[in-house]
Amino acid sequence: MADNSSDNFKEFHSYMGMLQNLDVGLVVLDREYRIQLWNNFMESHSGLHPYEVREKNLFETFPEINEEWFRHKAECVFQLNTRAFTTWEQRPYLFKFKNYRPITGSAEFMYQNITIIPLDSSVGVVERIGIIVYDVTDVAVNRIELKAVNDELKRLSRTDRLTGLYNRGYWQECAEREFKRAQRSGSPISLLMFDIDHFKRVNDEFGHPAGDAAIKNTADQLVMNMRETDIAGRYGGEEYTMLLVDTSAENAKVFADRLREHIASSTVHYQDASFQYTVSMGIAELNDDIKNVDEWIDAADHALYESKEGGRNTVSIFKKS
Amino acid sequence: MTQTPKVSITEDQRDCYQEISNVAMGQAADLLARLLDVKVILPIPVVNLIEVNELRMALSGIENSETVSGVCQGFIGNGISGEALLIFNDTSFNDISDLLKYGGAADKSLELELLMDVANILIGACLRGIGEQLDVGFSQGHPVVLGQHVNLNDLVAANNYRWTKTLAIEINYKIEGYNINCDLLLLFAEDAIEVLNRKVNYLLED
Repeated sequence: MADNSSDNFKEFHSYMGMLQNLDVGLVVLDREYRIQLWNNFMESHSGLHPYEVREKNLFETFPEINEEWFRHKAECVFQLNTRAFTTWEQRPYLFKFKNYRPITGSAEFMYQNITIIPLDSSVGVVERIGIIVYDVTDVAVNRIELKAVNDELKRLSRTDRLTGLYNRGYWQECAEREFKRAQRSGSPISLLMFDIDHFKRVNDEFGHPAGDAAIKNTADQLVMNMRETDIAGRYGGEEYTMLLVDTSAENAKVFADRLREHIASSTVHYQDASFQYTVSMGIAELNDDIKNVDEWIDAADHALYESKEGGRNTVSIFKKS
Repeated sequence: MTQTPKVSITEDQRDCYQEISNVAMGQAADLLARLLDVKVILPIPVVNLIEVNELRMALSGIENSETVSGVCQGFIGNGISGEALLIFNDTSFNDISDLLKYGGAADKSLELELLMDVANILIGACLRGIGEQLDVGFSQGHPVVLGQHVNLNDLVAANNYRWTKTLAIEINYKIEGYNINCDLLLLFAEDAIEVLNRKVNYLLED
């Protein structure tokens, strides 16, 4: 009998030893959010000894905890007698602890996943809850870095290297989307297409790098003048396209003329050479006759051709012939 | 390795799974109603033995074209392992700021809060309900966010699934008076089906 109870005591003691040394945070709270249990992990990372926090209110002891948020989660556990999980994606941490690897770790603090479990529910009433704090810093940092890399890849795959505008492929995707959206909403939208006049001469006279500088200058002028909602792309060599959302052909022409003048008055400096150039532009507002994006581009291209015929450095609007 | 018995379920077993899900789902719906203070429309659970690559089809409650947000959570107990998937139709989130007691407009982080709250309740309660009836205590892993505002196909992209067959229980929850629609999918691994069938057979014998 005596042996048995001493065995039980040993067993209990080793259980406690395991819990104390378990490398996850264990906290028990009573109904008033007073701390009842505080294991070794919590002590080490918070620097607070169990006797310092025992019977203390959680939110007063750790003001960094968003009380409203945590109460909401914890009350679910108290009232519904069910577990609650929170992830670092919701909030990076519950307790603001330093990164476990202060030297080689890149995160400043410890990302945490939290499990809240109902305790003492033998009579059907949850009188205490247990909080389990997991250190998930490595997982979180990897996930965040992976996302950053993927976002960068996505950006690169959409962007034209020289000008920083959208490349043709992605611009065309945008055009398909905006085409469908405009068909649904019925709001006006115009497509502007333009290219550099006598671009071959620029190349022949000043060399291809100077031609590149003109292409870049045109894109810079475009970006400087466009609105945030406009979608601009480099369509081909010295050809540019742009979608003007919620804009009629007449309003698009106001924008286009301003851009055209800006470009005509700008000077490109490349090494010792300086030169000026002009652009010709065509605008097509979407209408019911245009059945798809290709037809829309064709219409704008048609107007652009008209500008070329009409002596260049001008803007034309596509009209049904 | 000489024989790999094909997993299957009989009609009686399917009815039994349906009944078990019904009870569990009702308990879960009750908790959800208490959490959100709303009336939850009780659905009829759909039980199917499917190929994992047919997962997409099992999500019948979710419209094809919409973007979705979802979490998954693994569970295991007595040799029965599986995963719970909770998937929200993103249009649901328009109605969510009304329901949430956090206040403020529904942005991506608030949506995640709701997603997690609902996942905690529904998955926890359903597993408990099923576990009680089958006399199994399930351990739950930590939930993982599958994605927010993504294409459904991307969310359940069938890459590297080791199981070919899965027992899928689909429960489509709707909330009365709100345009809120979420699908809870309990997926049991292929090797769990045999154990489940044995347990269910006990119940059928009574």
